[in-house]
Amino acid sequence: MDEDVLTTLKILIIGESGVGKSSLLLRFTDDTFDPELAATIGVDFKVKTISVDGNKAKLAIWDTAGQERFRTLTPSYYRGAQGVILVYDVTRRDTFVKLDNWLNELETYCTRNDIVQMLVGNKIDKENREVDRNEGLKFARKHSMLFIEASAKTCDGVQCAFEELVEKIIQTPGLWESESQNRGVKLSNKEEGYGGGGACGGYCSML
Amino acid sequence: MAADSEPESEVFEITDFTTASEWERFISKIEEVLNDWKLIGISSGKPLEKGIFTTGTWEEKSDEISFADFKFSVTHHYLVQEPSDKDGKEELGEDALPLPMQDLLCMNNDFPPRAHCLVRWYGLREFVVIAPAANNDAVVSESKCNLLLSSISIALGNTGCQVPLFVQIHHKWRRMYVGECQGPGVRTDFEMVHLRKVPSQYTHLSGLLDIFKTKIGCPLTPLPPVSMAIRLTFVLQDWQQYFWPQQPPDIDALVGGEVGGLEFGKLPFGACEDPISELHLATTWPHLAEGIIVDNDVYSDLDPLQAPQWSVRVRKADNPQCLLGDFLTEFFKLCRRKESTDEILGRSAFDEEGKEVADITHALSKLTEPAPVPIPKLSVTNMVHSAKKKIRKHRGVDESPLNNDVLNTILLFLFPDAADKLAEVFENRASTSAGNNPPPESEDYNLFSQFKSAPSDSLTYKLALCLCMINFYHGGVKGVAHLWQEFVLEMRYRWENNYLIPGLANGSPDLRCCLLHQKLQMLNCCIERKKARDEGKRGSMSDRSPGGASGDGAKGGDHSGDNPDKEKEFGKSWDSWSDSEEEFFECLSDTEDLKGNGQENGKKGAKESVNLKPEGRLHPHGKLMLLHPGEPLYVPITQEPAPMTEDLLEEQSEVLAKLGTSAEGAHLRARMQSACLLSDMESFKAANPGCCLEDFVRWYSPRDYIEEEVIDEKGNKVIRGELSARMKIPSNMWVEAWETAKPVPARRQKRLFDDTREAEKVLHYLAVQKPADLARHLLPCIIHAAVLKVKEEEAVEDISSVKKIIKQIISHSSKVLRFPSPEDKKLEEIIAQIMSVEAIIARARSLKAKFGVEKCENEEEKGDLQRFVNSLLEQPEVSVVGAGRGPAGSIIHKLFVNAQRVPAVPPLEEELRRSGSQEERRQGVQSEFPPPTGREVILRTSVPRPAPYSKALPQRMYSVLTREDFRLAGAFSADTTFF
Ligand SMILES: Nc1nc2c(ncn2[C@@H]2O[C@H](COP(=O)(O)OP(=O)(O)O)[C@@H](O)[C@H]2O)c(=O)[nH]1
Ligand SMILES: [Mg+2]
Repeated sequence: MDEDVLTTLKILIIGESGVGKSSLLLRFTDDTFDPELAATIGVDFKVKTISVDGNKAKLAIWDTAGQERFRTLTPSYYRGAQGVILVYDVTRRDTFVKLDNWLNELETYCTRNDIVQMLVGNKIDKENREVDRNEGLKFARKHSMLFIEASAKTCDGVQCAFEELVEKIIQTPGLWESESQNRGVKLSNKEEGYGGGGACGGYCSML
Repeated sequence: MAADSEPESEVFEITDFTTASEWERFISKIEEVLNDWKLIGISSGKPLEKGIFTTGTWEEKSDEISFADFKFSVTHHYLVQEPSDKDGKEELGEDALPLPMQDLLCMNNDFPPRAHCLVRWYGLREFVVIAPAANNDAVVSESKCNLLLSSISIALGNTGCQVPLFVQIHHKWRRMYVGECQGPGVRTDFEMVHLRKVPSQYTHLSGLLDIFKTKIGCPLTPLPPVSMAIRLTFVLQDWQQYFWPQQPPDIDALVGGEVGGLEFGKLPFGACEDPISELHLATTWPHLAEGIIVDNDVYSDLDPLQAPQWSVRVRKADNPQCLLGDFLTEFFKLCRRKESTDEILGRSAFDEEGKEVADITHALSKLTEPAPVPIPKLSVTNMVHSAKKKIRKHRGVDESPLNNDVLNTILLFLFPDAADKLAEVFENRASTSAGNNPPPESEDYNLFSQFKSAPSDSLTYKLALCLCMINFYHGGVKGVAHLWQEFVLEMRYRWENNYLIPGLANGSPDLRCCLLHQKLQMLNCCIERKKARDEGKRGSMSDRSPGGASGDGAKGGDHSGDNPDKEKEFGKSWDSWSDSEEEFFECLSDTEDLKGNGQENGKKGAKESVNLKPEGRLHPHGKLMLLHPGEPLYVPITQEPAPMTEDLLEEQSEVLAKLGTSAEGAHLRARMQSACLLSDMESFKAANPGCCLEDFVRWYSPRDYIEEEVIDEKGNKVIRGELSARMKIPSNMWVEAWETAKPVPARRQKRLFDDTREAEKVLHYLAVQKPADLARHLLPCIIHAAVLKVKEEEAVEDISSVKKIIKQIISHSSKVLRFPSPEDKKLEEIIAQIMSVEAIIARARSLKAKFGVEKCENEEEKGDLQRFVNSLLEQPEVSVVGAGRGPAGSIIHKLFVNAQRVPAVPPLEEELRRSGSQEERRQGVQSEFPPPTGREVILRTSVPRPAPYSKALPQRMYSVLTREDFRLAGAFSADTTFF
């Protein structure tokens, strides 16, 4: 393996079937668009190393199918993911409406509560847009997600989406480092505060 | 000026004291530090506000300097003050005294509850201390002390620093300091006396006044008045009628019911010893003018009951033994045990090939043989006996760690469905305890998903609580191993006899729960399927007709008549099963003849198969019609996807990831996951004879069927649909699968899920869990239960600080517990946090009992008392409203009176005390109180020194007398202008 790879990040792509998840991933990893890309069965998996701000990160990206029947398979892929890309199709409102369901699922199954989430509105190259950019923005803001509109076909926003996500993950302390970084609350016992060491703890210590 | 000198132990070695260079270097280092900290020049600040020493923030800064090779630490202690405005500084003028000297006379902060001793003794807001850096180093000899003192004097003089500078001399525990403060034309010397034996003239006010006056050596007559502040402190250790400790509950009595708050399914709570050890009452006369009261060796006016100010502090037992904490700690210790269950029980407990077990299962299988023999009621007790017999064979009868009663009670608690009669009892109990459980969907109930534990009404959670209790009361790890072994036998029994495990949510393992819980759910899935299959088989034996009818046939079949009880018990899951699937898998291999169903593949069969009889329909889809025959499209009964526990899923994802990212890898990966798709296609074909891929896609992946409005030849708008581009790619996997799929209903398909194999895997997994593994699996449940317990207890007391800590514990725990294998250190932290909350609540209760808060009838007073008690917990010292005459004051007074009545002190000591103590012999009005444990006196005045025409300067002497020692701390100022 590369010596200078900072870390391996697990990233998940979810969203309704047909919104272009696999196409976005293919665009990102191989920089191509394949209109002949088969519909995903179950989950698929790709790897790519990128460098963000001089940090190299290896991305293990899990692409999911999205159909109802395949969903029972996917919860395990949520586990331990540091980043998730939630995709909808700007030309199909129903895929935008379903986002809430996906967020629910995410909440239920992902093991970390500080997972970085990115919302991607795909297929902006198409004419018949049904979801306005502002709606996407609003949704993302409401759920504290990153947001970008993209097109796997024309390449718009794709690279940027992944880079932004990784950057954010790297900036989130404790997310990419070893899990021992995870700090606990310190319940400082105020009573032992002042005068603990050599100093006198006040009158009570005299008795 | 130390009065008694100690043999020098570790003294500071300076090779040559006269080496001017070393000494000079030392002084210049002191000056350097003072400079660095910007302590040079006129000290400024506002007069001290009342109580600021307690409410303000103290900070300190440290540095290290050395005298030759002897290291000293220099520390600046100071009260953080708002930056004073420049004008104030100007106003001070030349004549103003340095602030520290003004502070000596300030009465706003006498006897602060918590402060550095020099603050208490001298009332200073700021000072610097030079002390040997190593804790056991000391400057003892007088010449060295003097050398240090002159060093600081020179440093202060050279720099013009007005902050008092102290050196610590003698051994640190003696807290001996000497020091100096300089200002323009003025100097204050800080001196100290520390004695073990108290000369009698120091025990009363008149004696102290004499010393003070002598020290001042004031040339004026009459001497200006001396102001006095006095505090007497009394300690109460003997709490009399307030009985403690709380008895640990008796588990053996539990078999009959609940005892001592201990109940199965609940953790115990509370301290076993009094978490409040002492009460300190300080009675203060903050400002007395000389001559107003008499306090000498024969008489005293100082009646604590009449003191104008009372304040109280409590001393908390350091780590009071508390039940919940003990339970948690002991359970956590299990995690570190190395032994396997076999090693602990001294035999091969789960040897699945072993004869013993074979015997048993054989016996059971005889008992549970199907057909003519009625299925016996499930009996845990049978199981207990057989398991116990096995143990007895290998070990002495008495060695069995859990006695029968306890074991039976626990097993019935865990498996309330086990025995009919008892089941009723337990149903009642279950319903009461369900009342205590947080209602589903509440925040508390959902804690399990944050903690990755298990729902609080689940079998897993109950098991955790039982193991925790067994571990504590019944043979520790041995008892745990024994109960676990019984549990695993019960699991096997249920699997082999098609009895569902109670206390688990239906359906696939819940990945939000701990792995052990998932495993049990998995086993239940297996049992459910096996049961359905077995019953389906029997059903179809009596009624061979295929299709929907067989389900009902099975339901109404032989065993419902045989076993109404069981029917009732499991009726629910039975029904739900038959709702979703009217047929049962017969587990035929896919090579079996397809009953003359001639459909070879979708394409060719499309036309021929229209006449085929549809099979395995769940319900009509609704709007959709098949494209070609125009029949309604039916949703088929499908095979449930294989239930998975998180470790299986993990394994699977690893396998999938290993296939790599090449095209072949991706293809293989898709192929590996297509079994479910293929099975669904087959079911779909069976339910919809004559269907095509488009029909399937419209149900399964509707977005891959693209519909368009077009105008047909006749000019009408019609909707045209076609497969999406990606579905139309020749020989893509969907098409491929469609072509391979035969019209076979789910019940005749090869099983996607091999329940037998999976059940055996789970049972084996359970059997090899060591007690330590078990403890780790279940620790989240225990922490979950403990948090609920402290929450519940807090709700009774309503202590706001505890509420906050509990919130922190929950967020901390959910961070720690959701990760796989959390670190021990973090788990310990959580446990310690829970224990500290328990101790706080226990203290609150102890104080409430002592102050009789509950007994108080006047509502207003009760509220006041409650607040008083709460502030005792949160503040270092609490003043008593109304002093000795207020409601709290009179309760405190009574406490002391009661303690005095009982001769707590052995007679001999009593005698000694009577003859020896000045205090006792003295006449006075304070007989109801014990002799004070501490007497503090602050004497202050402002007089000219050394000559009558010198400036009048602050003089102060603090004294404290305890049983063990006596201390005088004097600050005497002198005019240096003409000397
Ligand atoms: N015009 C356009 N079509 C796209 C774009 N991304 C994907 N598609 C098409 O949308 C369909 C579904 O894409 P796919 O990546 O398989 O979606 P997935 O099911 O979410 O993985 C395919 O036919 C793609 O060619 C895009 O950005 N623009
Ligand atoms: Mg896809």
